[in-house]
Amino acid sequence: MRPRGSVSGPVIIILIGIVFLIHALHPELRILDFVAVYWPYLLIVWGVLAFLEVTLRFLRGSTIPVNGISSGSWVVIVVISLAGASLFEIHQPGHWWSNTDWGRGFNEAFLGDDHEYSIELVQKTVGAGPHIILENFRGDAKVTGIDGNQVSLSGHKSIRSVETSEAERANQQTPVEMTVRGNTVTIRCHQDQAGARAIVTSNLELSVPKGASLEATGTAGDFDISSLAGDVDLSSANAGVHLDDIGGNVKVDTRQSDIVRCTNVKGTVELRGHGTDVEVTKADREVNINGDYSGTVSLRELAKPVRVENLRTILNVESVPGEIRLDRGSLNAENIVGPVKLTAHSTDVSIDGWQNGLNLALDRGDIDLRPGHLPLANMVVRTRSGNIELALPETAKFQVTASTDHGDIDNEFGDSLKEQTSGSGARLEGSIGSGPDVSLTTERGSITLRKSSESKTGFPPAGTDVTATRTQVAELAAVAK
Amino acid sequence: MNSRTALYAQAIRGPVLLITAGVLFAMQQSGAVPLRQTWPLFIIVIGVMKLVERLASPRQPYPPAGGSAQ
Repeated sequence: MRPRGSVSGPVIIILIGIVFLIHALHPELRILDFVAVYWPYLLIVWGVLAFLEVTLRFLRGSTIPVNGISSGSWVVIVVISLAGASLFEIHQPGHWWSNTDWGRGFNEAFLGDDHEYSIELVQKTVGAGPHIILENFRGDAKVTGIDGNQVSLSGHKSIRSVETSEAERANQQTPVEMTVRGNTVTIRCHQDQAGARAIVTSNLELSVPKGASLEATGTAGDFDISSLAGDVDLSSANAGVHLDDIGGNVKVDTRQSDIVRCTNVKGTVELRGHGTDVEVTKADREVNINGDYSGTVSLRELAKPVRVENLRTILNVESVPGEIRLDRGSLNAENIVGPVKLTAHSTDVSIDGWQNGLNLALDRGDIDLRPGHLPLANMVVRTRSGNIELALPETAKFQVTASTDHGDIDNEFGDSLKEQTSGSGARLEGSIGSGPDVSLTTERGSITLRKSSESKTGFPPAGTDVTATRTQVAELAAVAK
Repeated sequence: MNSRTALYAQAIRGPVLLITAGVLFAMQQSGAVPLRQTWPLFIIVIGVMKLVERLASPRQPYPPAGGSAQ
């Protein structure tokens, strides 16, 4: 008689089929959610079945298979493990997967059953300028400064688990606590006390005295902070950060973020880490951005020196009455105060209106410069590959040295500037009146020196009121049109 | 100690490993002990199973050519 094959393989296949059948017939049972958490037991059941099968055969004296689990079954096991582990991963909140539209839809359809609980209001009286510490937590936090000397905390918890009883238990295990010791207020969410089967997200709403300072660390969730007079120090593995009206220094460190937005900051701004977009508007003191942001870095109305540094770009300016937009591959600036210093790899640069010196060094990229006002200052512009276009007011006085190794030079300022071609390159030298040095160098590309249509000298000197300057820029733009 | 025991010891190796893997994964997911701390257990179980097989096999490490295993 032919020896019978293993029965445990078919049994497991039947089980998997049943799981999907249940899902298809009753999607509300969230069977996949169950599977995401309990799939390892399938391996155990399979192992026990195969073990019993071999043992039975051994005891009955029938043929023992060479391997208790065939190589084909091992392939299925590896597939189950990979699928199970991924299902478990994406079932966690805050995972990148659930931040994508597709992933969110998938999770809503197949995984996660959120149970909502409210966090009871806690109010405590503290000083006028307390130091608030929010300890490592997952969830959104909204912190608002208000008059008075009370800290009040409320919010809600969202607990994801397969069973309601599990969520209930997790809710008991993760009370939100506020302790006051001297001037320090510490808020703890105790999320690590719930096991991995219930995932707790605590969304907090805090109102604190206006004079408060804040220190918060989070794993995932957004920070929305407004009207605080003290320092704000945030660090998060994954967060959107919105800061508005901060009196002290701001420090934000993100490992991942969709946006970091700071508006109206009286102290210094320091942003570090990784993220997508950055927006800093109206800052009264130094702004330091040191990190890898893949989206747009947008800077507006900054009164003191600004430094942006990442792997590809280093930018220094003395202040930004207008605006700077730094995207991957391009930099656009309008009305800035130098000395401006920019070093970048592949970036197209366009600067419209700046004061004081300019030092620009690119690896590759086109450069489009319109100083916009007089008198000019020293300009050193270099790119290894790219075109340079400089538009100067008709009445500008300067001394130019322009050279390209491969390309043409186009000069609108007449014969007082001497042009000579050599090989495939060209060189332009000379001066118009007596003015600062303008040096333009490209190794490959054309250089254009042209007269700008309007010759405005209307930019106010550095240090004038920022808003006034902004209106003037708007007026100038209107005139230009 | 006959070769039937040896065959049995060899046949249960797969199921035992599978049970071990299942237990380690389950422990990881319940949040008790992460897999990165427990994976060496897997190697230890493989070693133990090999040892059991060796002990269960007949005391004839190099059977003569053409000799019967029985």
